[in-house]
Amino acid sequence: MTASTEERTAARVVPPAAAVRGVRKVFGKTVAVDGIDLEVPTGSVLGMLGPNGSGKTTLIRMLLGLTRPTSGTAELLGHAVPDAAEQALPHVGALVEGPGFHPFLSGRENLRRVAATEPLLAGHEIRDAVGTALERVGLADAADRRFRGYSLGMKQRLGLAAALLVPRRLVVLDEPTNGLDPAGTRDVRRIVAELHAGGATVLVSSHLLAEVEATCTHVAVLQAGSLVASGELGALLEAGTGGLVVATPDVDTALEALRGIGATAFRDGDGIVVADGGPPAPEVVALLVRAGVAVHEARRRRARLEELFARLTEESP
Amino acid sequence: MTLVESATTPHRGSAPMGRLLGAELRWVLRRPRTLVMLGLFALVPILIAIGVVVADRGGGGLIGAIAGNGLVLPVAAMTLMLALLLPLAVGMAAADAIAGEAAHGTLRGLLLAPVGRGRLVLMKAFGVLVVAVTATLIVAVVGVIAGLVVVGGADGTLVTLSGTTLGFGEAMGRVGIAALWTVGQLAAVGAIALAISAFTEHPLVVLASVLGGLIVFGVLGAIPALDWLQPYLLTTGFSAGADVLRDPMTWGELGSSTLRALCYVAIGGGITASRMLTRDA
Repeated sequence: MTASTEERTAARVVPPAAAVRGVRKVFGKTVAVDGIDLEVPTGSVLGMLGPNGSGKTTLIRMLLGLTRPTSGTAELLGHAVPDAAEQALPHVGALVEGPGFHPFLSGRENLRRVAATEPLLAGHEIRDAVGTALERVGLADAADRRFRGYSLGMKQRLGLAAALLVPRRLVVLDEPTNGLDPAGTRDVRRIVAELHAGGATVLVSSHLLAEVEATCTHVAVLQAGSLVASGELGALLEAGTGGLVVATPDVDTALEALRGIGATAFRDGDGIVVADGGPPAPEVVALLVRAGVAVHEARRRRARLEELFARLTEESP
Repeated sequence: MTLVESATTPHRGSAPMGRLLGAELRWVLRRPRTLVMLGLFALVPILIAIGVVVADRGGGGLIGAIAGNGLVLPVAAMTLMLALLLPLAVGMAAADAIAGEAAHGTLRGLLLAPVGRGRLVLMKAFGVLVVAVTATLIVAVVGVIAGLVVVGGADGTLVTLSGTTLGFGEAMGRVGIAALWTVGQLAAVGAIALAISAFTEHPLVVLASVLGGLIVFGVLGAIPALDWLQPYLLTTGFSAGADVLRDPMTWGELGSSTLRALCYVAIGGGITASRMLTRDA
């Protein structure tokens, strides 16, 4: 508990692992990213959510220096991107826009070729690094088959292995669970958790909300090239709806008692919801019990990420 | 353990150049289509040799000079294949080098590693050059062997086009000069192909441009009204290889065509580098 508090305090002091300020990217007449400010706190697992075409991949590509923003600045591990990207990139592992490999080489040979280009790997470490990465993503058995014959999930696993060849300070995974079976999805979740536990920062983009909710500490929601919400997952979920849900059969008595002290409350299903801003939860419950209301259950209302996401992105223009 | 290691490892922004070139070499030479193509190229001198022996007639030109004079074969084969086949090999290598990597999504990986963009151009140019050298060497070596074994004649000596006779050693020197000169011409083709490759992610575009370009150059070179264009066309010098078969050797055409090729290399290399420094991946 104390450790996590310390971590959180430390995260405020150290500079963010990655940041974009006012970035905008225009392709012809299409505005892919429309002025986004976002920080990826060091040590966090940030889930980037958004419907297809909301600008997630373009934002990631700008962060990694693969494409230059039309305006605005990007920063990776404290280095300006794309101009000084080469200083930061050795410490960054990335799987962007699907795994890219050569079909005529085996998984292991493909990975060797990638490893040969890794600045932080010494020549004699390559063989072991490749073997370890293949095992970590569960691909050791298929390592010597040609990439051509890999299933979608195996290709994805190999892409993940390439991002994990070297201990990284930041790992960027663009739709890592694409094409993976449930076991593969669990593996990705485990790997993200391991990276997080090891102190690495992880940026995951996904449209699978359950994934993000299960693995992330922070969330950023994109919609049509703009950032519509970002922050710690817990805070975002709570701020999304909030209120105290009280399950009771005596709805009318309860509402009357609450109105008496000036709290806002309304009927909802088999009970009432007390809006935030009034007396704290224990007082509300005590008041209700004194008023003779049978309280079966009282809990804070927390939205599922899915509801929050739907509310943020499906508002019709 | 890891902590100590990472503390003592000097900071490096890029993998050692030698390792990058090694990786590129393996990648180029393991590609099945490169190997198939090199294998087919080895057959060409053999086919020419058989053709010359079977025809058993003097005939004219370079091919005719092979009859009974086997060591002309490697030079004739290189000159003949420089018209289309050797540029095809180089064009294919250049197409795979950048456009092909972009199409497979592997160019992104190279840039993210990161292989610096400047080093990437060097690495790719090296790969294309390796294919040019390998293809030329195969034609030359198989040409020498087929010339001696299949065609035979002249007792291991070379009868020059001027009528004199050169010993085996000097004949090999002449073949070597022809090979070097051929690689120079192919480097020009490769540099231009690489520049085109830097602008597209469709390898076919590169291949079509190279072959189309060679044909257009050939046509332009054949139009008398466009004589003034001749010094600028790469294909103008493509027939100079046969000059190594004269005695004494005439350097004029060989030199000027090599100079022209180097200009093409500089232009192609410059365009490739400037494009790759800003290319999105």
